[in-house]
Amino acid sequence: MPGVENCLQEAMAIPGAIGASIVDYTTGFAIATSGAAPNEDHEAAAAGTADVVQAAQSRSLFVSAVPHDLLEDLIITTAGGYHLLRLVQTDFDSRLVLYVWLDRIRGNLAVARRRMQSLADELITT
Amino acid sequence: MKPPKSAAPGRLLTQVAGERRTGALIVGGPPGGTVYLVEGLVTYAESAAAPGVGELLTASGRLAPRTWQAALDAGTSHATVGRLLLEQGHITQGEMELCVLGATYDAAYFALSPVSAPVDFLDGATHWLGELVRVDPAAVTRESRRRGRLLDEIFPYPQIDTAAVIPATRPPRERITLTAPQWELLVHADGQRTPADLAQLLGRAGYATIQELRRLAAAGLIELPAPRERAGKPEFVRLPRARGTAVDVQRPAPGGPDGPTVPIVTSPRPGLASGDPPPQQRQPDPATANGTAYRAPRLARRKPGAKLPREVAADTAHVHPGTDEVLLKRIRTALRALR
Repeated sequence: MPGVENCLQEAMAIPGAIGASIVDYTTGFAIATSGAAPNEDHEAAAAGTADVVQAAQSRSLFVSAVPHDLLEDLIITTAGGYHLLRLVQTDFDSRLVLYVWLDRIRGNLAVARRRMQSLADELITT
Repeated sequence: MKPPKSAAPGRLLTQVAGERRTGALIVGGPPGGTVYLVEGLVTYAESAAAPGVGELLTASGRLAPRTWQAALDAGTSHATVGRLLLEQGHITQGEMELCVLGATYDAAYFALSPVSAPVDFLDGATHWLGELVRVDPAAVTRESRRRGRLLDEIFPYPQIDTAAVIPATRPPRERITLTAPQWELLVHADGQRTPADLAQLLGRAGYATIQELRRLAAAGLIELPAPRERAGKPEFVRLPRARGTAVDVQRPAPGGPDGPTVPIVTSPRPGLASGDPPPQQRQPDPATANGTAYRAPRLARRKPGAKLPREVAADTAHVHPGTDEVLLKRIRTALRALR
């Protein structure tokens, strides 16, 4: 039975993972964290994560380009790493995103993205 | 047991957490709330302003009301409601944890945000949901404070959080953009429902609801509730547009004692675009009324179709925001379970 802690453990097992967290993107609050965060500050990372998701979801028109379109994930690449954000779609009201920070050299973007997709799905399905 | 004393809820939480106690921290309202601790760690919180796990799961259709009710019936006395739902496979561990965590932080914000409230600690009390998560109380208090600050950054007008939501009938701009949650709120705001009512009705987090309402207020799309000091004045509520048109015809015009007493239509009132009557507009009233021979009656004559004056209407409405909605929902849940 994968719980929240278990999900983060699995996320940290993704090759190259430096840190992982589950963030409420309306409040910018990490409800669970694991590993390291940029600048060693999980709270600031969560707030930044929330800003990015909100920008993509409400302040841009990407999501409304096609009817019933849905934001799935956001990927930010930097010279040093990858930052992957995967939206967790629950049936009940919540606004959660799974965040994983990957090392640029050890991480594989495609593998990580697939893995996060299944992790986010496993979290809410049996 | 000691009688409830007034104190900062956050401070008492830190204290009982430091003593690693098990029990319930009860904060008086409105809206009030209860934070449950096991060995100094927070396991759950609930508040009248925040939908609980049951409301979140049933309002969204994730659980059938009868499933929830059956778990309640079987597990309440042993505090195993959550575990039963997990064991019977109605919900996954991940979903349950996420839902409980969300509801806990949501309710904790309402319970812990008052600077001072009647608080009490009930030793040994546990919640019927059972222990599903454990959260550091320091994180809860810190997050509650941070959420309060976030709201004021959006639009510093705390009355919005508790007053009935009244959509502005005429938007202040030609083009407006709404998010889906904002649309949902406006469609369900009937002029009577408070933010807590709307949160319960829609099964959305109480804090997220307030957040959207503050944004709507900042955009001028809902009316700003009157500041607290004026709550005792006779004032008509829920009239379609600017309240200035709905006052008693005999009321002296705000211009002063020499002003006309009857032609009201031209009296100064906010432009149709701005959502609220400026507070200073009616403040001269008591002075002018007392100073002249003519005195406006305390309770103005009701126009046909007008609603009750606020001081009468507010008597019950503001005591426990959301109580009716919660009660109705419980009754409905129980009835559905019988089918």
